[in-house]
Amino acid sequence: MTQLASAPLRRPRQRRWQNTRAGILFLLPSAIILIVFVAYPIVQSAWMSLHDWSYLQSTQPFVGFQNYIDLTKDPRFWNALGNTAIFSVVTVPLQIIIGMLLAIKFARSNLLGKFFRSIYFFPVISAFATMAIVWKFLLSPDVGPFSAWEHALGIPTVNILQSTAFALPAVIVVGLWKNVGFTMVILIAALQDVPESLNEAAALDGVGTWGRFRYVTLPSIRQPLLFATILAVIASLQVFDQVYVMTGGGPLFHTETLVTYLYQLGFQQYRSGYAAAVAWVLFILIMIVSVAQLRIFRYRDVD
Amino acid sequence: MRKSILAVAAVAATVGLALAGCTAGGSSATSSKVVHLTYWSGFTGGDSATYKKAIAEFNTTHPDIQVSFQLEPWDTIAQKLPTAIASGSGPDIATPDYNVATIQQYVANGLALPMTSVVGNKTGEVPASAIPKSVLDSMTVHGKIYAMPASFTTLMLYYNVKLLAAAGIQPPTTMKELQDDAVKLTGNGVFGISLPDNNTIAQWPVLIWADGGDIVNAKGCSSLGTAKTIASVTSWADLIRTKGITQVGLSGQDGDNLFAAGKAAFEIDGPNAAGEFTPAGIDFKVVPVPTGASGTPVTLASTAPTIISAKTKYPKQAQEFLAWWMGKQAQTIISVGAADGPARTDMGSDAALKANPLVQSFSSQVKSSRLYLPTVKEFNYINANIFQPAIQTATRTGNTASVLKAANTQLNTLLNCS
Repeated sequence: MTQLASAPLRRPRQRRWQNTRAGILFLLPSAIILIVFVAYPIVQSAWMSLHDWSYLQSTQPFVGFQNYIDLTKDPRFWNALGNTAIFSVVTVPLQIIIGMLLAIKFARSNLLGKFFRSIYFFPVISAFATMAIVWKFLLSPDVGPFSAWEHALGIPTVNILQSTAFALPAVIVVGLWKNVGFTMVILIAALQDVPESLNEAAALDGVGTWGRFRYVTLPSIRQPLLFATILAVIASLQVFDQVYVMTGGGPLFHTETLVTYLYQLGFQQYRSGYAAAVAWVLFILIMIVSVAQLRIFRYRDVD
Repeated sequence: MRKSILAVAAVAATVGLALAGCTAGGSSATSSKVVHLTYWSGFTGGDSATYKKAIAEFNTTHPDIQVSFQLEPWDTIAQKLPTAIASGSGPDIATPDYNVATIQQYVANGLALPMTSVVGNKTGEVPASAIPKSVLDSMTVHGKIYAMPASFTTLMLYYNVKLLAAAGIQPPTTMKELQDDAVKLTGNGVFGISLPDNNTIAQWPVLIWADGGDIVNAKGCSSLGTAKTIASVTSWADLIRTKGITQVGLSGQDGDNLFAAGKAAFEIDGPNAAGEFTPAGIDFKVVPVPTGASGTPVTLASTAPTIISAKTKYPKQAQEFLAWWMGKQAQTIISVGAADGPARTDMGSDAALKANPLVQSFSSQVKSSRLYLPTVKEFNYINANIFQPAIQTATRTGNTASVLKAANTQLNTLLNCS
């Protein structure tokens, strides 16, 4: 066996350790950032949720699970949970369906397709707080164009963001407008991976458009579709930006979600322990929903 | 060999530079003893120019104390200030909120410095009799003074001259007249009155006080369930629901915008609102808040407290600043510029104040004015979670009596009353 003259042969275990050490060193900066800004706060918030914690106080008494017990008796928590659930249940199917329709329409890579894809994707990359302020002006009964159009059409003007009936739908619509482009992009990539031969074979066998979609396309994009759904669910359960900017949780707490409630508890009432308990309940809720989705839709199975 | 000579030379040069830096700093015999204070405040609106002018005047007349004025929105200050002071990295002076009751929490957590050389009879101090008693009381906790007023205003009734003239209505002197006028003036896209129910100065309490009701009584317990309070709120809520005299769900800013757009005929507001209405081209006048069922004229007094950080390195200079602020020169500047004063009882006939006609009007209301929840620590929570939601529900759905009774129970629980 010829040996290369340049580098002396190192023992396999030593080389593996040097490769591992290089890998660790490369990962270290990101790991430090993740530990300091993600892992440590998560552990700290769990610790805080077991105390009556307020940074304005000089002592933080340990209360065990009292915060969680108080949550079960808190009507505002249940109201926030209900609103969050409604938001999620309405937003996710609509986001997937509209995203799918847009993806099918603009999957082709011609100029028109690319142009519209960009338009629908712009809201995704824009700053949500800024966009929510713009939407607040659009919906304002005094200066917004929507009320002017309603006036012109003879429909009585409704102060949408102050209406207990229409505020939550308005917030849902803005959320959809923001995120549907993201779902569309994921599904376009998925659709472009569907082997054309399968569709042709189905067409030859006499399967109609809907049948082809249901029995060829959908199963082929099952994994990206599940991925998009899980992301949509997680994002919808964490809804905050547009609610905080457009309605502040009002009117009369009709749009208050778990995250806006925990923001108020933690940063306006300075009850950090109680707010941390809300955060952990949300975390457990998201985890249950995500795991259930993965199990039910058999994420790991390969078709 | 060459490498080590170069290395030695480099080290010597570095050491030499470092030493030169050290000696250069210490060689000046007379180091300037200027004290720099930072002052955080939330007066970001039209009055900011006046406050900056006052601070500039202080800096000019006090070369040994220089105050740097930092403006941020009120909710930003509310979030940053407690931790900033507690960690020692905060400002020396701060106006933590536009409501005086905020200081209760700062005092309870040891974040505010008790003032010993601001109010008194020595030279440079302000005599206690020169400060309105209700204001001084609201800033005294356990016998020690913890704040001085950054601003002091009352509310009056603004009315749109054109709208009233077109309907042939005279400005109202009683609450009943105000209600009738508001109904008459509602229509064609105009609301009779601008009455915000969230994120606003306390206008609804003024209506309740005028009719003899209250939110928290003298014993510190809830008055929301009393017959007078219920009657007052019911009369207004019914008009709002059935006659649409105001837009439901207005925030304080929305309310001002509505009046400034000429879409509301009346608004109960402070002098700062004039700074928005005049540039908007509204022809307005102010009259005292109409008398209600109680028969006694009443309006809101509003004072923003300025505290000194308990961790400031310059307590003496900070107190000197506040004593100057309460002096007649500073009070004249903020009164003439923004009608945010004077917070003194002895300037009523000062010729200088006549430069701003609004000041005369609003100062004339001081005698009938009262502060809203001045010493209740949880006033923010009460407003946002008990009082305002009750008003919002009553103006949308009715059932005022039961809504207020439920709020009454909630408030009593919070205040540990039976």
